Amino acid sequence: MDIVPQLILNSIIAGAIYTLIALGFNLIYGATKFFNLAHGVMVAVGGYAFFYFAKTLGLNIFVAVIIGVALAGLVGYGLDKLIYLPLRKRKASNMVLLVASLGAFTALQAVIAILFTSQFKTLSQNVGTQKLFEVFGGIITQTQLIILLAAVLVMAGLVLLLYKTQFGKAVRAISDDEEVARIVGINTNKIMGYVFFIGSAIAGLAGILVGFDIGIEPTMGLSLLLKGVIASIVGGVGNIYGGVLGAFLLGFVENFGIWKISGEWKDAIAFVLLIVFLVFRPRGIMNK
Amino acid sequence: MEYLIHLAILFAIYAILGVSLNLVVGYTGLLSVTHAAFYGIGAYATAILLTKTGAGFFASVILGVIVAIVVSFLIGAVLSKFKGDYYALGTFGFNTIVFAIFLNWQSLTRGPLGIPGISRPELFGINFANNFNFLILALLFLGLIYFASRFITSSSLGRVLKAIREDETAIAVFGYNTLYFKLAIFVISAAMAAIAGSLFSSYITFIDPSGFRLMESVFILAIIILGGLANLRGSILGALFLILLPEILRFVGFPADIAAQMRQVVYGVILILLMLYRPQGLMGEYKL
Amino acid sequence: MKILETKNLVKRFNGVHAVDRLSIGIEKGKITGIIGPNGSGKTTLINLLSGVLEIGDGEVVIDEAEKLTRLLPRQISFYGITRTFQNVRLFEQMTVLDNILVVVTERNVFASLFEKHTDYHGKIAEEVLQKVGLWEKKNQLAVNLSYGQRKLLEIARTLAMKAEIYLFDEPFAGLFPEMRKIISDIIRELKRENKTVILVEHDMGLIRELCDYTFVMDEGKLLAEGAPEHVLEKRAVIEAYLGE
Repeated sequence: MDIVPQLILNSIIAGAIYTLIALGFNLIYGATKFFNLAHGVMVAVGGYAFFYFAKTLGLNIFVAVIIGVALAGLVGYGLDKLIYLPLRKRKASNMVLLVASLGAFTALQAVIAILFTSQFKTLSQNVGTQKLFEVFGGIITQTQLIILLAAVLVMAGLVLLLYKTQFGKAVRAISDDEEVARIVGINTNKIMGYVFFIGSAIAGLAGILVGFDIGIEPTMGLSLLLKGVIASIVGGVGNIYGGVLGAFLLGFVENFGIWKISGEWKDAIAFVLLIVFLVFRPRGIMNK
Repeated sequence: MEYLIHLAILFAIYAILGVSLNLVVGYTGLLSVTHAAFYGIGAYATAILLTKTGAGFFASVILGVIVAIVVSFLIGAVLSKFKGDYYALGTFGFNTIVFAIFLNWQSLTRGPLGIPGISRPELFGINFANNFNFLILALLFLGLIYFASRFITSSSLGRVLKAIREDETAIAVFGYNTLYFKLAIFVISAAMAAIAGSLFSSYITFIDPSGFRLMESVFILAIIILGGLANLRGSILGALFLILLPEILRFVGFPADIAAQMRQVVYGVILILLMLYRPQGLMGEYKL
Repeated sequence: MKILETKNLVKRFNGVHAVDRLSIGIEKGKITGIIGPNGSGKTTLINLLSGVLEIGDGEVVIDEAEKLTRLLPRQISFYGITRTFQNVRLFEQMTVLDNILVVVTERNVFASLFEKHTDYHGKIAEEVLQKVGLWEKKNQLAVNLSYGQRKLLEIARTLAMKAEIYLFDEPFAGLFPEMRKIISDIIRELKRENKTVILVEHDMGLIRELCDYTFVMDEGKLLAEGAPEHVLEKRAVIEAYLGE
């Protein structure tokens, strides 16, 4: 097994995961213009919901996936209705929303830990007997292939949604200028609610997939969220393609970055990338 | 009684952390979520100096302060380029990077193994292994830092900081180099946090990186938001409340092993409730 | 002498010229008006002169000597310039008194930490607050003042700077006559002290009453200049306003 092709594969897989997170995060940021840090915990919600329904209750895998994704979406929707919407109505500043989302993240993460313990769990049935594929000298598992597929499908789906539907048009209008959108008659709060649902659902899906690939633990959301945020900012906040670009760039920088040094530095490398961009090009690659 | 003294010492340490962070967040309006990094720098400075050399506690405090000053100066200089939400994200980044350093610079910090056997201070033959004596020491430091903070906030510098919080461009127009002022308070605040770290190190006699991650910074933020931004006494009150919280929970009947998680749920919920209903906190005058 | 000049000053936003090769000269010790329809670039000009916006091209000249192509907000006080804002920018959660004190204290970080509060600061604060009639409200938070009081506080803040050049951006907007009189008296007094005032305004009566000289802007360019009576009669000027 050659190192470089494997690194490239690893980078692509990481990029795919980060893409899923960034897509959801960017969608929400585009419409609401604040950094919803609770997005991170939706990942765990999806993963653990699947765990509960598939492993504990023994439901069919596909049903459990749907429930997991839907539940994550609902939690996101709920947060908006209960917390962010009232704050928006009060014209709360972005800092207030950020702190509130931080509170939601903290609380929900701990709730999950209480319900399921902090132990690491894996979602896949047969660890070690997964189908493996050899690609250009590197190895990729069946799960990882699915992750790639999912990233592509979700991105395509999102592009279709945003550019080919009335709903998508409304979302884009809100992203451009919320006040104007409201004046024109769009029910911005209702649309934002749906945006939260969709964005959080995508995060939930990411959680399930990561659960199959590596495993789940209550704190999985924070690290993934931060990577998603970094990907979004590097690529261009609020921009769908930007998020994807940033995600893959991040995946490559991380994996090649730790080639010669310990893997523990991954997070730090990711943040160095973020800071470099914040200093030299805060609007990201894609944004003008 | 021993247990009460233990709680009191923790309270004193977190009160120092709260008061110092408030200078940056409450008075200057910078949403900094990286305080745990400086807390950790002080802790590790003391731990390393005390276990590897014959130097005394107070020398280690000075070392911790110096390192914190240098690091915070660099971090603060970079952060000064970011505004609003991006500033907060940048601070997440720095906390993560510093945490990664604690975790991975194993030749210095022993990484996840942590540093055991840190001795208590030695001064005038007083036995600081006696927790009561240590409490007095901690309270003395708290008093010092509290009064230093009061001095700062009631000085002309303090007034300028508040103006920066209110409208940075407007105060700049009147001739103030806001960058220098923000940097100065960030550095002062970091130095104070390092002192708290030194106390923590010597008290617990064992430290490892886990006490200085991002969530710890969020906890300290919760303390000052609860107590009231721009109110130093409020931070002390906030620290008291959040230190006693796990005890209150245990009293109410939650088993000890989930007390830590419950604490997180509670302060997460508190952050949300505060943002929704009382952004100025318990004693605050300033609303985020 | 021209205490403040612009030479081919340019500022673009997304390809649109907010200020388009503007060259004007402000005479020292006089009250100069800047008028023009909405969107003509008046506030952008003030923002450029006070460093709040970065100069795109061209230069600003101070005292016919200092040529500047870059200007930071914190530098303008060094050149004796101070300003108010069209959308009043006070330090909301600070008291009226603190809003004044905060601009008269030490600029140096270390010095400001150890500065002893002297009578000097108190005296200036009292003097300017009395002038605008806000001394009794000195302990009120700025955010709790009425609209008119907020505009007066902003003016008091500039007076405390004891500057040479005062940039007032629509200081009279939305005020009752009593408060307008306070401000016009202040402006006239500044002129008596040989200070320079640049006044952006929409009220033509006030321009006629107060200004020695006027510049008319339209779409970022200089449309006309001269004494108010002459300028306000020019056909081009009237058309520019009617066209808006």
